Amino acid sequence: MIDVVFSAQLALAAIAAGAIYALVATGLNLVYGTLRLLNIAHGDFVMIGAYLAFWVFTLFDFGPALSLPLSVITGILLGLATYKGLVSVLMQGRAHEERLESNSLLAFFGISIVLQNGAALLFTNNIRAYRYFDQVITLGPMSMTGNRLLTLVISTFLALATAGYLRFTLFGLATRAVIQNRDASSIVGINLPRIYLVSLCFGFSLACASGVSVSMMEPISPIMGFGYSISAFVVIMLGGLGNLFGGITAAFVLGVIETYGLAFVGSNYRSLLVYGIFILVMILRPEGLFGKSQATR
Amino acid sequence: MKSRALPTLLAAAAIVAFMACLPLWGDDPIIAVGINLLAWVALSASWLTFSGLTGYISLGHAVFYGIGAYVTALLWLSVPMWASVAAGGVAAALLALVAGYPCLRVRGPYFVMLTFGLSQFVKFVVIEIETALQIGGRLIIGAPPIEIIYLLFLAMATAAVVLLAVIRYSRFGSGLRAIQSDEVAAETIGVPTVKYKIVAFAISAIVPGLVGGIMLMRSGYLEPDTIFDPTVSLTMICIAVIGGGNTPATALLGSLFLVGLSETLWVRFPLVYMILLGCLLITFVLAVPQGLLGLLAPLRHRLESRGAN
Repeated sequence: MIDVVFSAQLALAAIAAGAIYALVATGLNLVYGTLRLLNIAHGDFVMIGAYLAFWVFTLFDFGPALSLPLSVITGILLGLATYKGLVSVLMQGRAHEERLESNSLLAFFGISIVLQNGAALLFTNNIRAYRYFDQVITLGPMSMTGNRLLTLVISTFLALATAGYLRFTLFGLATRAVIQNRDASSIVGINLPRIYLVSLCFGFSLACASGVSVSMMEPISPIMGFGYSISAFVVIMLGGLGNLFGGITAAFVLGVIETYGLAFVGSNYRSLLVYGIFILVMILRPEGLFGKSQATR
Repeated sequence: MKSRALPTLLAAAAIVAFMACLPLWGDDPIIAVGINLLAWVALSASWLTFSGLTGYISLGHAVFYGIGAYVTALLWLSVPMWASVAAGGVAAALLALVAGYPCLRVRGPYFVMLTFGLSQFVKFVVIEIETALQIGGRLIIGAPPIEIIYLLFLAMATAAVVLLAVIRYSRFGSGLRAIQSDEVAAETIGVPTVKYKIVAFAISAIVPGLVGGIMLMRSGYLEPDTIFDPTVSLTMICIAVIGGGNTPATALLGSLFLVGLSETLWVRFPLVYMILLGCLLITFVLAVPQGLLGLLAPLRHRLESRGAN
């Protein structure tokens, strides 16, 4: 048992899981941070990306080189549609702030149901998978399949790209300002609706792109998104809602807890472990690991 | 308000009497539809008793339904029938009391997510227990005939609706509605918010727990995967959102609409039905926040003014 715990293999698996969580959760966090809307359908956009990659591979025999850019475009289109059809309507009403959050949650829940059942209608409930780049690659003491390594590379690249966008571009700076203080950003002349739209599209694109990278190693089904939504929620709660860099740290924390936890108790208990962590986080530290306690929450 | 009380009571009594007589001339399919309708009225009225009045949206009420069914199955035949069903209701209320304390510390979207996570957690705990015991499903033998079960559902629906009406217009209900409008203000003027929320949460869990047990007698078979189905929670919310508001009429109107829809669509096109349910939820949240009840309000006013003349 001890040698399992200290093996580089398990550490690598934890990092790979953490990288996926980071990617999925960053998209969710970006949307929550700017719009203050909890997108419970986030994981279903991961599912859409996974199906996209599956069909691009099965029909045209192309790997992520084609499906990754396509998934980004899909995410942008879905973001545009959601903004026009849903978010602008939700934002119009002068409802109480808390009511807005609950309402948006219900509306996104509706979207999630539509997407899951729509996917089941179009692609059936069968679990699908495809074999892409699955040779085993050995690096010193560690060995992993090529697609797992590729997933790690893609996730790291996208996470760095997101961090670069937020840190080095003017628009990214404005986005961070909106996350920090919406009203103040509006006063200094930041175009809020523009930031909302771009963040929504960016977040959805990240979800679809992570779907592409997940699809190479996980089975694809209409309900796969659910688990990702939950994990992403755990991560952004742990990291603090709207705190992007805290979220990335929390993603790796979750990756480690899950990978090492399952190594001890067995993969049958996966759902139990994920929901258990979720409840503990919500009850013990709803303000996140790095957050400050607030009077009202 | 007072002038409307008598006609409302008479109408309610007429509805209950009509529903009670249904098994006399209805055949099995009609009774089945009736059971469906009554079960959803009972479940959605219970949901409204907590979420409709306090504004804390519970996405996990299926857990009370599921735990009621599970406890009933565990005790089946080892105690009298009524006791095993009653134990389901008690277990649901206890779970709500235990879970309510930590859950109700958080608000808004946190609470919504937490109730959902909790119901999923309990579901997987039960699945793990059943797997560890190597039980694939539990058979319920010796359940009463369908007419009796129908009447039990009628009793549940009536009880849930009466409970909602009584609480809504009581001092307790005013406190709950004050929590919905502004919790801090309610606390300041002396509403014991924590106590009220937890008690309301527990009360709203009892009927779903009992309904779960009765539904188990009807289906005769328990599968942990299906009794904790999140669709149950979703349907309660859809009924409330589509019905609009937080009155007994909300539960009746919403259930009538949704059962009508599911009877025509669900059996043949389950996926299309679910997609439509999602679309309805989005549409009503975005465009018709006042629900069917709000849409029908002008009609009711016209009828009332005609009656007055």
